[in-house]
Amino acid sequence: MSGFWAILRREVIGLFLTPLAWVLLVAAVSLNGFLCVAALMQSGGDVDGAFNFLLGTGGAYWMLMITLPPLLTMRSISEELKGGQLEFLLTAPVTDGAVVLGKHLAVVLFLAVLWAAIPMYGLILELQGVSPDWGQMGLGYLGAVLVSALFAALGMVASALSSTPLLAAFLGFIFNIAILILPMGAGALGGTIGGLLKALADKLNVLLHLQTSFMRGALDSADIIFFVAWTGLFLFAATRIVEGRRMWS
Amino acid sequence: MIDVKNITRRFGALTAVNDLTFQVGRGEVVGFLGLNGAGKSTTMRMLTGYLPATSGSIQIAGHDVLTESLQVRRSIGYLAEGVPLYREHRVSEMLAFQGRLFGMKRADFRRRSAEVLDRVGLSDRSRSLVGKLSKGMRQRVGIAVALLHEPDVLILDEPTSGLDPLQRVGVRKLISELAEEHTVMISSHILPEIEAVAGRLILLHQGAKVADGTKSELLAKLGGSHLKVLVAASSVHPRQLKEALKRALSSSDQKREGAVFVREAGDSIEATVRVDKNPAAAVGLLASAHDWILRELSWHEPNLEQLFGRLATGVAENGLDVATIAPASEVGTMGGMEETEAGA
Repeated sequence: MSGFWAILRREVIGLFLTPLAWVLLVAAVSLNGFLCVAALMQSGGDVDGAFNFLLGTGGAYWMLMITLPPLLTMRSISEELKGGQLEFLLTAPVTDGAVVLGKHLAVVLFLAVLWAAIPMYGLILELQGVSPDWGQMGLGYLGAVLVSALFAALGMVASALSSTPLLAAFLGFIFNIAILILPMGAGALGGTIGGLLKALADKLNVLLHLQTSFMRGALDSADIIFFVAWTGLFLFAATRIVEGRRMWS
Repeated sequence: MIDVKNITRRFGALTAVNDLTFQVGRGEVVGFLGLNGAGKSTTMRMLTGYLPATSGSIQIAGHDVLTESLQVRRSIGYLAEGVPLYREHRVSEMLAFQGRLFGMKRADFRRRSAEVLDRVGLSDRSRSLVGKLSKGMRQRVGIAVALLHEPDVLILDEPTSGLDPLQRVGVRKLISELAEEHTVMISSHILPEIEAVAGRLILLHQGAKVADGTKSELLAKLGGSHLKVLVAASSVHPRQLKEALKRALSSSDQKREGAVFVREAGDSIEATVRVDKNPAAAVGLLASAHDWILRELSWHEPNLEQLFGRLATGVAENGLDVATIAPASEVGTMGGMEETEAGA
């Protein structure tokens, strides 16, 4: 386990030392801050509605969800496979899984910090005398972190598949969009493939699991398990891809 | 310490390493030699557990590389080709990361990091960014990182690649020092580098082992040494010289059959006597007995580079018996020579 913690620590520090990460952090926090003010003004002071918008119903939320994780995971594996650092890591007493998990968790922690800006806006309002629904806010935040973890896991798959970070980011971006639109388009195809896609889409309906639980302020453990299980599955896939690429290096 | 049995590694249709077997004892320094693509890096990657063998088995420090991979990795210090370190880290941070990866205790880490930095001569560079260091210094950092956890076995893949001559001398000296405390496997395609540090050499060609032994053993086994005899043409006829040398060789104590090449060179006759033991004394007596005017009598042994050139170019057609292949440097000058097999 010492290897896993070493990798997690290195990756977290590494992320916070990367200019790109800071650019993304500042851009996302600024955008959310602007949208928070805009939503409050437009709704005539509906605080809970504004935070619901920032943590699930708004387009900016999904835009950030689709783009940020792949941009943060793009270098994780692809660059290190190419540069040889992965060989350095995997000849130390560390398993492939620990390497992938450590790198993934570092990105999730970074995104957790990024999304934490929204409860901070709530805190500012609280100090101004307007109290938001902290339960719903907390669940919305937890949902954002879980969705980020899922999309970051997909980003790890993309990074493991690709030899260049930019291609990895693009692939991750495509994966994220595919997961979101799959439930909408799967039924339209018909036939065996359509049926299979529909069955998969029903099992992988991110929006549904977010809306029925986290955005309503009612926590269902099945929804947490949904996100944890799919994240784990994609991380397992990323690990297997890393192993496969190692075999051919 | 290292026990490799019949390992083969295939990448699709390509066989990168073919049925390789060797053992390395504790404290031995073994050099892996081979042209680019000979299978050196693939073999080293298999030794570290990074790449599994398609077939065969590897044991390091009593642990199987496949089934006890993590224990094997703890016994190994590995410097991959190109020194893949995190360039954004300071030297001290890189060492700290390695210490954490290997689960070292804080006190042990402090002691060892000071020791290895001192060992590689970078005590004053611990705050430098790895990416800002010269290539030679980066190699030294790579070696320091590989040494940190006090491994039994040190595996260095092309540690002097891309360095200037001065840096090469420095790294070579360092490796020689390390050889006193560790079992070292070092690979290179620069033969003098290996010659300088490794007591034993394993020559790889197209994934297969073509020779294994100390330099003198390889030279004795693979031949290529010869005596050059230059005699004034006025004192002997070429045919007489050849016959006399033939007789002298057949009665001398040579391990393998020799060959005599004779040609006229201006007012001299040049004879090349290819044998494995220096017959200069016997030939000198012969010259004295026949009143030959001897202008040169010199013994030549091929260096490792010539030997390897012969192996690499001759092994495909001739298998392991390359003693009959002319040294690369002489191939072009043999035209017109008269050759006579000497001995029985």
